[in-house]
Amino acid sequence: MAELLLMRRFEIPDSHTLRVYRETGGYQGLAKAFGMTPVAILDAVKRSNLRGLGGAGFPTAVKWGFLPKDSPKPRYLVVNADEGEPGTFKDRYLLERDPHALIEGMTIAAYAIGSHLSFVYIRGEYIKPFRIFSAAVHEAYEAGLLGKGILGSGFDLEVIIHRGAGAYICGEETGLISSLEGKKGWPKLKPPFPAVRGAFDCPTIVNNVETLCHLPHIITLGGQWFAALGTKTQGGTRMYSVSGHVVRPGVYELPVTATLRELIENHAGGMPRGRRLKAVVPGGSSAQILTADEIDVTMDVDGLRDAGTMAGSAGVIVMDESTCIPEALWVLARFYAHESCGQCTPCRESTGWVEKILARILSGKGRPEDPDNLLDIARRGAGTTICAFYDGAVNPYLSYVEKFRSEFDYHIHHGECDVQPGRVVTGLGTR
Amino acid sequence: MPRLTIDGKEIEVPAGANLIEAARRLGIEIPHYCYHPGLSIAGQCRLCMVELEKNPRPQIACNMVAMDGMVVHTQTPKVLETRKSIMEFHLINHPLDCPVCDQAGECWLQIYYMKHGLYDSRFVEEKVHKPKAVPLGPHVILDAERCILCSRCTRFCDEITKTGELGIFNRGDHSEVGLFPGKVLDNRYSGNVVDICPVGALTDRDFRFQVRVWYLDTQKSVCPGCSRGCNIEIHSNVRRPHHAQGRRVARLKPRYNPHVNDWWICDAGRYGFGSIDQGRITFPQLREGGLLREVTWREALALLIDRLRAYGPDEIGLLASPEMTNEELFLIRRLAETLGVKNLDFQVPPREPGDEDDFLLRADKNPNTRGAEAIGLWPADRGLDAWEMLEALRREQLKCLWVFHHDVTRCGWPEGAVLEALQAAQCLIYTGSNVNGMTERAHLVLPAATYAEKEGTFTNFEGRVQRIRKALPPLGDSRADWEILGECLEALNAGPKPNRPEEVFRALAHAVPAFAGLTYRDLGEYGLMLREVAHGASR
Amino acid sequence: MSLAGQMIAFTPAQLDEVRRLQALYPDPRAALLPVLQLAQEAFDFISPDVEQYVAGLFDLSPAHVHEVVTFYSLFFTKPVGRHVVSVCRTLSCHLLGAPDVVAYLKERLGIEAGATTKDGKVTFFTVECLCACEMAPMMQVNDRYEGHLTREKIDRILERLE
Ligand SMILES: Cc1cc2nc3c(=O)[nH]c(=O)nc-3n(C[C@H](O)[C@H](O)[C@H](O)COP(=O)(O)O)c2cc1C
Ligand code: SF4
Ligand code: SF4
Repeated sequence: MAELLLMRRFEIPDSHTLRVYRETGGYQGLAKAFGMTPVAILDAVKRSNLRGLGGAGFPTAVKWGFLPKDSPKPRYLVVNADEGEPGTFKDRYLLERDPHALIEGMTIAAYAIGSHLSFVYIRGEYIKPFRIFSAAVHEAYEAGLLGKGILGSGFDLEVIIHRGAGAYICGEETGLISSLEGKKGWPKLKPPFPAVRGAFDCPTIVNNVETLCHLPHIITLGGQWFAALGTKTQGGTRMYSVSGHVVRPGVYELPVTATLRELIENHAGGMPRGRRLKAVVPGGSSAQILTADEIDVTMDVDGLRDAGTMAGSAGVIVMDESTCIPEALWVLARFYAHESCGQCTPCRESTGWVEKILARILSGKGRPEDPDNLLDIARRGAGTTICAFYDGAVNPYLSYVEKFRSEFDYHIHHGECDVQPGRVVTGLGTR
Repeated sequence: MPRLTIDGKEIEVPAGANLIEAARRLGIEIPHYCYHPGLSIAGQCRLCMVELEKNPRPQIACNMVAMDGMVVHTQTPKVLETRKSIMEFHLINHPLDCPVCDQAGECWLQIYYMKHGLYDSRFVEEKVHKPKAVPLGPHVILDAERCILCSRCTRFCDEITKTGELGIFNRGDHSEVGLFPGKVLDNRYSGNVVDICPVGALTDRDFRFQVRVWYLDTQKSVCPGCSRGCNIEIHSNVRRPHHAQGRRVARLKPRYNPHVNDWWICDAGRYGFGSIDQGRITFPQLREGGLLREVTWREALALLIDRLRAYGPDEIGLLASPEMTNEELFLIRRLAETLGVKNLDFQVPPREPGDEDDFLLRADKNPNTRGAEAIGLWPADRGLDAWEMLEALRREQLKCLWVFHHDVTRCGWPEGAVLEALQAAQCLIYTGSNVNGMTERAHLVLPAATYAEKEGTFTNFEGRVQRIRKALPPLGDSRADWEILGECLEALNAGPKPNRPEEVFRALAHAVPAFAGLTYRDLGEYGLMLREVAHGASR
Repeated sequence: MSLAGQMIAFTPAQLDEVRRLQALYPDPRAALLPVLQLAQEAFDFISPDVEQYVAGLFDLSPAHVHEVVTFYSLFFTKPVGRHVVSVCRTLSCHLLGAPDVVAYLKERLGIEAGATTKDGKVTFFTVECLCACEMAPMMQVNDRYEGHLTREKIDRILERLE
């Protein structure tokens, strides 16, 4: 495995403590950052080609650059630790095994953008990560690494840890902001974008945990060095969460130039019991599915985009030949129907509709026109909604049906599955 | 002021206007459900999509501020196709029960489906079920299955009344509008949610199933419920009265006036129209031997003139009312001048202080107090005011009192003293619309038309002069006050009777400086301020 | 306000915490989620009475609080058992046997998903992705994640519960 940046402390006992963090070079990036101007930090980040690792893959320096220069309002940094994308679990590892890396990265970011109050939004189910991270924050305050005059720099930063309460949509940055403000997690209309008017109507930067965890070594080793690990348009490494039908599910940190095949076959150990690969979702459930023939692609943002899918949150779900694709899509359709916030019409109505059509197909009552209807519904709703949640649902709707059309048709014409004949799917239609 | 192009037409719009409003100025309608100009932008219904040049995806027009040089298209194939798709999504879970839905005929799902939908239905799944026919409060009833979750009603309660009764609960396609368990929707403006609900989800308990909307006629008017003078529409049902037990006024709806009430009216005003069709005095009556007897207008007017001539000016009192129009008050002033009567007033204290808030409701429950003040319906030099007239009646110094509209037996004055005074009157004339304590005591009762049955103007508390229009013929034999007074003046040789209130208004504008220069035409939709107010010389 | 004789009111110490939370954020209303979390700890579940009580602490309409409570899946609007078991049913867990886990729990506990055992011991839910797909099939038991579930492991976990 190439050099580890994000995961280098994961196997060290007590890696979550300040002591171990400091013994392994922790907080050196922050000390160096305080010797730099915020503009110099922004410049290093720009040169690093760091792209957001929460899902959208947006260049981090560009996002920071959207902050209004002359607003008298305070600026907020919001850490997105609401990890919820099916197939993704990397932020959980970071929170549990290297919480100080997040604190350090977050402080560097806050210093660079001129924020003195940071919110860390942790999904409600993550209780252990919340406890470990809270303890680390406490340690950091005690050690003068948070609060007033951090490391004698004169820079102040307060941190508020905010726990979610169970809603995938709060991972979407404006849904998160609504939730942070004490409301239900309805995403907000854009414009205005959060950088201009975000949390509490103030300029706000939302960054993913993993994105921020990259900042300490970008500062210590330099933007160019980081950029050199990746492609022309995306620097560094990232953490791939691998699950499903593989021998060694887990998180793997690889340069973004690694291919999907390498990840699945070399790192995750391939399929168990010698089964053959059928399909892979490379970037969390909201990414388009790839067939077994399509995995020789690099897993950087642009590489996967060019392959007709997306890097998303780098949650890789592997499906072997025993998988019924219509059933897999129904499971996801149920997820999207359950998690749609319900605010805007196309998403609210069609996520439920698609789920019902798929449940009907699986229960043996499919109609010949169903696959075309599914495609049509998905295409019609795409791009019409308030937030990207619905496009994230459309990606699987379209790609599963388009790439595995014959499986849907088989279900419809035979009333059962061609992969596992006679198999009955339980719990259909429940949400 | 940004200048932009919409569908090839250029227009300049006020800064900050969104594309729906900008297009509206060009007569281009961009369909929408959740957008309402009086509420915050929600962007939920996604129907108002338009294409902007240099923008790959259609955008919602409601959240797009018009900018200089923008080029907008509202009719491209992409826009039309998107609208159709969004219409389909709106309708999949909507019940198909239009024939029994009270909103039929004014439902924006129906209207937009015909204009922008018209696809073949392909939804064969079970619809999501939600509560139906839930009374939310004294006036409003909810059918959650018909709701398209536009959030207009919740935004109204959050932003306008700030009472926050309604919410959208749950999420996804289980989202549902409702009240907090055990609460009621009973704020003073609750009826407005019915108006802004684009579909049949919120309906008026009062109006439900009374009459189909396509049988209704509409007329512009002003609410007489308080001195705010909210602009309204009177929806009347004269074509099928049997559908509503003979009730001619079916409902009142607010009418937009940015200077007075925006889009809203209070519930008291909205539901206070019962007296137009109920408890009315429908013919002139004369008291004989303690009992009222129906007489013709000829007889009644002859008697009236006879009485007015029989007493000296000091023995007569005229008690006008701030419920009357400016025109009518002006004619009363002329009558007083003609007769030489100095005992003239218009104000009687209310029995209870009126309900007031910092939104629309005013404590003064009369629509035209400001007009009466401006026209000067005060006692002329050393004449008697209202209370003094009653005292003088009791002392039998005043012999004849003509009361317009006030029920002085039920007002802020001690009832005993009032009754004693009325008892002592030699001639008590009452002009009013509804049966009350006065009709029980008057010697001569003249039936007056209500505000819904006549033309005229009211002046609101701020001094805005606004027109009311005739929505219905006067009930039975009743007549508008201006007609009665006109007849009376003609009989007293004070000039020919006016044919229309507009003539009176012209004379009023001539005679009373505050009204100088005002004409019906210029009053227009939104009314105009009294001159003295406009010039900052308010009393 | 009371519920089955129980007073709905925070202790003075809890009220201090409410005030601390409200003062923490740029807008006190942002403390609604943490205060509801506190309320759920204090009162076991969030009844309309609790919603109304919390609304009063924030000067919010009860409908607003009800919107929030019904939006998030971690707020319980009905009583739950002493232990809450949430089985992940999303894709990775589904591929590796979540339906069998659900079926086995139904059988062992004798209840449907969403219900509570008669003795009030366990409530079991099916939930969407808990983001622990590497240990699929998995479930959350109170505040712990339990993965690589088999019948035997489920038996052991349930036996440990009081
Ligand atoms: C439906 C939806 C869910 C999302 N969930 C997450 C999430 O769980 N964690 C996350 O960091 N970003 C998530 N995102 C992306 C965020 O909106 C946002 O782009 C990200 O937090 C920005 O951080 P980054 O630039 O560092 O990636 C989600 C986006 C959508 C549309
Ligand atoms: S797209 Fe879906 S999740 Fe996003 S705002 Fe609309 S309804 Fe909510
Ligand atoms: S009840 Fe009517 S106004 Fe309220 S959300 Fe539903 S459709 Fe909109």
